[in-house]
Amino acid sequence: MTKPSLHPFTWWLWAIGLAVAILRFDSTWFTVSCVGVVMVVVYTCRDNAPWAKSFDWTLKLSAWILAVRTVIGIAIGVPIPGTPIFTMPIVPLPEWMPGIRIGGTVTWERLSSSLTEGLLICSIIVIFGAAASLTSPHRLLRVLPIYIYEFAVAVVIATSVLPQLVSSVKRIRMAQRLRGQKTRGFSSWKRVAIPLLEESLARSLDLAASMDSRGYGVSKKRSRYRPISWRLKDSLVVITALGLVVIS
Amino acid sequence: MIKFSHVSLIYPNSTTTVLEDLNLTIAEGEMVLVIGPTGSGKSSLLRLINGLVPHHTGGILAGDVSVNGLSTQLTKPGGMAHLIGIVGQNPANGFVADTVEEELAFGMEVLNLPNDVMRKRVEEVLDLLSLAPLRNRSIATLSGGEQQRVAIGAALVTHPKVLVLDEPTSALDPIAAEEVLSILHRLVHDLGLTVVIAEHKLERVIQFADRIVYINGEGVANVGTPEEILMQSPIAPPIVHLAKALGLKEIGVTVREMRRMTTQYRDIETTSTVETPPTTSKVITFEKLTVSYGDTNALNSITSEIFAGEVVAVMGRNGAGKSSLLKALAGVNQPTGGSISLLGKNPFELHGKQRRETIGFIPQEPSDLLYGQSVAIECEQADRDNELTAGTTYAVLQQLVPGISTATHPRDLSEGQRLGLALSVVLSSNPSILILDEPTRGLDYQAKNELTRMLINFSASFGKAVILATHDVELVAELASRVIFIADGDIVADGSTLDVLLSSPAFAPQVAKVMSPHPWLSVKDVVAALEGLQ
Repeated sequence: MTKPSLHPFTWWLWAIGLAVAILRFDSTWFTVSCVGVVMVVVYTCRDNAPWAKSFDWTLKLSAWILAVRTVIGIAIGVPIPGTPIFTMPIVPLPEWMPGIRIGGTVTWERLSSSLTEGLLICSIIVIFGAAASLTSPHRLLRVLPIYIYEFAVAVVIATSVLPQLVSSVKRIRMAQRLRGQKTRGFSSWKRVAIPLLEESLARSLDLAASMDSRGYGVSKKRSRYRPISWRLKDSLVVITALGLVVIS
Repeated sequence: MIKFSHVSLIYPNSTTTVLEDLNLTIAEGEMVLVIGPTGSGKSSLLRLINGLVPHHTGGILAGDVSVNGLSTQLTKPGGMAHLIGIVGQNPANGFVADTVEEELAFGMEVLNLPNDVMRKRVEEVLDLLSLAPLRNRSIATLSGGEQQRVAIGAALVTHPKVLVLDEPTSALDPIAAEEVLSILHRLVHDLGLTVVIAEHKLERVIQFADRIVYINGEGVANVGTPEEILMQSPIAPPIVHLAKALGLKEIGVTVREMRRMTTQYRDIETTSTVETPPTTSKVITFEKLTVSYGDTNALNSITSEIFAGEVVAVMGRNGAGKSSLLKALAGVNQPTGGSISLLGKNPFELHGKQRRETIGFIPQEPSDLLYGQSVAIECEQADRDNELTAGTTYAVLQQLVPGISTATHPRDLSEGQRLGLALSVVLSSNPSILILDEPTRGLDYQAKNELTRMLINFSASFGKAVILATHDVELVAELASRVIFIADGDIVADGSTLDVLLSSPAFAPQVAKVMSPHPWLSVKDVVAALEGLQ
């Protein structure tokens, strides 16, 4: 045992607190600095577990979402007047769709508003991705109350399968590169997705079968071999997030 | 203890019954081995015992399965947890905790056992399975053999009356497998535990089994003593084939028994002729090859050469560096130090068509290579990639594994058929070097024979080099011309199969153990040598 880690709920409560604070502040600078803090926390606190590596993918995913959201945001929608940057040709739309247009003049105001909205979505994804990569899904299972056991099984399977997907993606992409296939671009994703889905489904079923045959959820009471306790450290982490919620 | 009465099982969307009218009673303290070709329903039979089939998988069950008087029709798998410990085919998928100790405790926690009982039992199991040094280790960092022991420990800790294991040694090296099986043997004898086990590598388990259930894949199951069943079944370990080839009246299931029966064959004198293989051109050279992950070296500066027409087996313990060597040769990762040359090229810089024509790689999971929705699509894709006339790949597949319908989804193929498909896709580009990472996991004897035939054919008739990593000593004896033995990242032995396998008893195949000191590795060798005398 290297170091006693935090309570499994700690990072999730912290993430919820940060998310609420971000939504209430609704300020770009606050959002960006929150994401920065989260990144620093993850890169210093994470250990060498498989789920810890999923954070890099969370970052990539949210960067991609931000890019798509921005492009769509400036190309489609209600025009906002302001300083123009460049002009795109307007796609003619039928008369029954008034107020919506595709293309046209892109203004600073429109660009910045779609960036801000995209950033908000991404920050929430990053924050919860951080919680998932800092918390062991197995420890989470141990503290979830047993009477919501079906829900708990689903949560644990989801949180433990997702990070394992990341290592499976690496393995499958390697195999396909060796088959001489391209591993970049959209069509390569289709080739990765099919073996990936199959494997994650098989994995989830195995885990569920294992939990089932070991009697999980049969007895409503559960004893503790080595109880996970809530310590001062945990309270401190949660208080930092709660503090932000209060001042927002 | 376990009673199957008139059990028939059929899965939805399937036209064949898995089991038909099976009657079987397993007494307390018995060790029963379930054998049969891949996909014949061994796993289903095992999972019927605690009700995972049909409660978890669906399917229609007729008849009744009861364990210690509890019927699986009325009790769900969870309700059987205190009675039955079950270890799945892939224990890594079933772990619910991070560290060894927590994993062992999980089963008792959910049964709500008091804390002092849990502490005592965890210590007991740690000692029983020699897991004490690993107690605080994270499960993800354990080797395959260690994970298997943890899974068995986690099943034993609730003191079940029945232990069910699905291919417990398929991923293990011979020594780790021996360890796991002797532990099981001890449990049966010391605690009166009832053990039901499915396994392909019969040579490993047969000596421990009291009875065998043989499922033939068409719903029929035969039950009998090992001698009775093995006399008739096509699935048999090499020593039984040896007994049949020599025309012995009885068969022995252990090396000791067989040695007693074959004294007359060992007394004869043979002149050993050492064939020097013809010298061929080098295809692979690696010098001072070093691969490291973080601080640990998987390979420490190893040097060797591989020639055309060779079949090289890379052997060694779990975690010795076999996969690292194969991956470096295939050009997956840039090695940390040293150089590799495949026909004068750096494997890491090969791409697309050039890569396909130089090197073919079959990973541990052959399905990683496959993404088509059907066998036909998969074959067409390979034809297009290699600019072949339509149907070439399918023709290769027909040769390797005849009788696969083109409309089948690759997922629905058996383990052996899927390997055949992956292999034919890779072979369609006619690579000069073929690399396989543990190809015989989960393959039955028949599929293994097919694979052996295919690979020998490929290397001998086209002069190609084949490199495979494997734990399967019997396969190496049949197939390989040269063995490289790796331990802790160093090459400890490199020579002809005969020299390397005979120099260590743990890695000697069964036939060699029976026929020692004669240098015969397989039934084929014995028959050829004896015919040469007459």
